[in-house]
Amino acid sequence: MGLELRNLSKHFSVRTDQGKATVRAVEGVNLEIPAGQTVALVGESGCGKTTIAKLALMLEQPSSGAVNFDGKSLGEMSRSEIKDYRRQVQAVFQDPYASLNPRLTVRRIITEPILAHYSPDRVTLNARVAELLEIVGLPAAAADLYPHEFSGGQRQRIAIARALALNPKIIILDEPISALDVSIRAQVLNLLMDIQEKFGLTYLLIAHDLALVEHLSTRVAVIYLGSVVECGPSEQIFSAPQHPYTQALLNAVPRPDPDYVPKAADGFDDTGSALEPPSGCKFHPRCPYAMAVCKIDNPPLLKLPDGREAACHLLTGPHAAQM
Amino acid sequence: MSATPLLQVENLQTHLHLRRGVVKAVDGISFEVNEGETLGIVGESGSGKTMTCLSILQLLPIHGGGKIAGSVRLDGEELLQLGEEEMARRVRGPKVAMISQDPMTSLNPVFTVGDQVSRPFLYHKLVKTVRDAMVAAAAGLRRVRIPSPERRLKSYPHQFSGGMRQRVVTAMAIACSPRLLIADEPTTALDVTIQVQIMSLLRSIQNDSKVGIILITHDLSIVAGLCHRIAVMYAGRIIETGKVRDIYRNAQHPYTQALLDAIPHLGRKRRRLAAIPGQPPNLMDLPNGCRFAPRCPRRMAVCDEYPPATDVGGGHTVNCWLAAKQ
Repeated sequence: MGLELRNLSKHFSVRTDQGKATVRAVEGVNLEIPAGQTVALVGESGCGKTTIAKLALMLEQPSSGAVNFDGKSLGEMSRSEIKDYRRQVQAVFQDPYASLNPRLTVRRIITEPILAHYSPDRVTLNARVAELLEIVGLPAAAADLYPHEFSGGQRQRIAIARALALNPKIIILDEPISALDVSIRAQVLNLLMDIQEKFGLTYLLIAHDLALVEHLSTRVAVIYLGSVVECGPSEQIFSAPQHPYTQALLNAVPRPDPDYVPKAADGFDDTGSALEPPSGCKFHPRCPYAMAVCKIDNPPLLKLPDGREAACHLLTGPHAAQM
Repeated sequence: MSATPLLQVENLQTHLHLRRGVVKAVDGISFEVNEGETLGIVGESGSGKTMTCLSILQLLPIHGGGKIAGSVRLDGEELLQLGEEEMARRVRGPKVAMISQDPMTSLNPVFTVGDQVSRPFLYHKLVKTVRDAMVAAAAGLRRVRIPSPERRLKSYPHQFSGGMRQRVVTAMAIACSPRLLIADEPTTALDVTIQVQIMSLLRSIQNDSKVGIILITHDLSIVAGLCHRIAVMYAGRIIETGKVRDIYRNAQHPYTQALLDAIPHLGRKRRRLAAIPGQPPNLMDLPNGCRFAPRCPRRMAVCDEYPPATDVGGGHTVNCWLAAKQ
């Protein structure tokens, strides 16, 4: 039970000053999201995290490769299987001010997914709404109010209730707390952890806040310009990052400690462009350890002795000994 | 450090008179910033940190019904008595400049970067010709370490990345060598890797020019490495202020402690976070006593009265009865 991305790619054609071009938003991503775990996708803006989420939600069709659910590719599913898949996979988005329809009551918002799939009688439906509101810690009276009558944290609870309405197996969390106030974030985070335990949910977490990722996730995939550069258990990645990009990301994170100064890597000014990705290893123009081979060969994602995967000539190629 | 502070704010009140009632956005705050010093103002949205800075610059929304009271002195001169013309010509730009949160909205998309960065030089008559202004603009872009600045002058904002745009905004802010720089969440919209760079840019500008900086943020970890002193705001008031080490190592106010505990920090994995229950109060209907009391885990009967500022040593002051009692 779980999701599996197999050699997944998504290319978009765009028009630029120089004519037509292709944005390689996602490029050959292999990733397993085992049941009951929280897998986080981290990387800078524009690296393809959200495109991967959209592919998993079937909001985009892959250019090549596949998303497999329970061993079956989404592209090969029948209509009824797809309908079932949509029941199993739900999402919570970043901005609860944008993701809830302001013209619907909370009851309509929460019951919309249920009514799209089933036709329960009114008593059952109302009981389910009350149950869902209780799970996310809102009073039953909230059902007949409109989104604008709630604060950001409460709105995110409504969005979570909607995501839970169909008893999904997988929830995709796209920056679930970054739009919320600092003092409210912990409440929503704790709620997400509680419902994961209670319902055995699988999370695919997209976040740029690395402290949040360390807190919530069991596995981490670091994405750079559409490809996974390092992937493994959360503890391994955070305690001993191996890929130079992961190291640079972690070094940049500020800490609530006046004696800690985050390190800025030299030449780290610009995130690369997925429109004209560099040759060889896409990270080499920003990499402090770049070698001649990095400009020519793109290193494959290979398993390291400790079980994690990384794509770097320093770690996996013939130059590995130099590290 | 000079004897008179660069900026001295006393009992500043900014109330917005709306049809629905009076929003006490800033409700009697006092602080100072010295030359070459960075003050971090930390608080949640709605705590009044941005309104404080807009009040210093007298840039309140025109239709907001804003009324400012109190005193804001820059180099000893009272700013609140200056008219709009004097504020525009003499204060905003040459003396106080601001970097706003989102570099996408603070730059005009239909003008080139050169047009926009050269404008302060022309407006404040630092140069005579447009050609000289462009030369000055290129020098400004070089100061914020934008590569090949002469060429970049002809580019439009959308041709820059987020971090580069924030550098452009910074170049405009420091164009007239201001005495005070207000940075309102300058890195919130940026990736961590770029965040560090903007922060180190601000630090190096301060080392070169001794500019005083007010850094506004909601994230205590961002300001830790950059600020000398911190003021924590809650519901329109400063509830704790002190040197950066005192705040991080020895926070006295339950709200400051809660803020430090409520966000995950790298390398400190825990199962559950200590959530702060409830919501910040409505600024139109504030409690008489301590404004954090309804959410405070250590609330007492005396909290129905507003706690006085208590100095707990070394300029570290707290508005909390817990500190006052000791």
